[in-house]
Amino acid sequence: MALERVSLIANKGQMRVIEVILASFVIVFALSFANILAVTPTSSKYEATELEKMGYNTLYDLDKQGLLADFVYNKQWDKLQAALRVLLPLEVHFNLTIYYLNGTEVNEAPIFYGDRETFLNSKNVASVTYCLCGYSTIGSAIYDPRILVLQLVRG
Amino acid sequence: MKKVLRDKRGQFVIIAVLMIAVMIISIGALMHRAVTYYKHEPWEEYLALIGNIELNSKRLVELSLANYSHTLNQKNLKINLERWKADISNIYVGRDASLSYELANRSYTVDGTSVKYLFGLNYSWFKPKSFTAANATFMLNVTAIGLTGYKFTVLAFLNLTILNVTTNNITITVKAEDKMPVAGLEKENFQVKFGNTVISIVSVKSCYDNKEALIYIIECAQNISTPVTVEVSDLRGIKVVAQYP
Repeated sequence: MALERVSLIANKGQMRVIEVILASFVIVFALSFANILAVTPTSSKYEATELEKMGYNTLYDLDKQGLLADFVYNKQWDKLQAALRVLLPLEVHFNLTIYYLNGTEVNEAPIFYGDRETFLNSKNVASVTYCLCGYSTIGSAIYDPRILVLQLVRG
Repeated sequence: MKKVLRDKRGQFVIIAVLMIAVMIISIGALMHRAVTYYKHEPWEEYLALIGNIELNSKRLVELSLANYSHTLNQKNLKINLERWKADISNIYVGRDASLSYELANRSYTVDGTSVKYLFGLNYSWFKPKSFTAANATFMLNVTAIGLTGYKFTVLAFLNLTILNVTTNNITITVKAEDKMPVAGLEKENFQVKFGNTVISIVSVKSCYDNKEALIYIIECAQNISTPVTVEVSDLRGIKVVAQYP
């Protein structure tokens, strides 16, 4: 009689262990599934969009201050590169190309910062197109658009 | 063994855990929806695109006004805006951006001055209070983001008023849109004439005035005879010619 009681208690204990193992599996499965759905702010899925926003805002800020047209039409590429380096975060690499309306490149020197390999290897390269209508000074005011293509990648 | 199969306490734990799991997955799915909804719409990017077109349309009106003030070609603004309209469609072809415009063609009151526009342009020179003005209204559609009928008006205006003329000093005030005093003008921005004779300028000083906020005092190399004309070109290249008296 005493032996049968011990045996029953032992069976109950085993069932609890099995329950806990099964419950653990269910919890682990649920957490893993929820983790797949979670999209963190730094997710690579939105990286290109974030960079595009950053690029647009940088060019817009420079244009609003009247600096962008001044740099572009007076071909001050060094100053333009320095301004972009100041305004963009340090880990963001950029490559700016300026075109005439017919598609010919304006900047003979590259307006570039960072590692060229990063542009080739990265999956998230953002591209921003910005246009300028012309430039006026005391002596002249001519309609002569330029198209700025800014490529951004996080290094 | 039969007792183990009939035991119902274990099943309760399993059901409770299953319910917790369902709750975790539901919260995960809800969070996913919330995050992706706000992240998928790059509002700031669209705002910057609209800002780019709006800012450069304003620049183009100013640029055309500067050109008009030097050439007095009344069709200048219309020609430039036609080209800008076509170029915008080509540059932002992937976003289906289209820009239309309407030039002011009637009388408007700008900062207390009546301006009668023709093809969006007008000037009134050789008076103590002279001005050059442009006015155009734009309509922007960016089909790719569902934006239609975004309307904005651009007004470019430069006013030159000769306040006083003494022996060899001319006191003037230069104001842009919204009666904003124009700062940063130097000797190179001005020209003083008596008839067709150019009078050389020694210096141009700016100082604060209680009534006008900012005034310029032009010191000439010789005594000034009237009527005297003063010409100013601001930093945008817009020219105005005023005459005193």
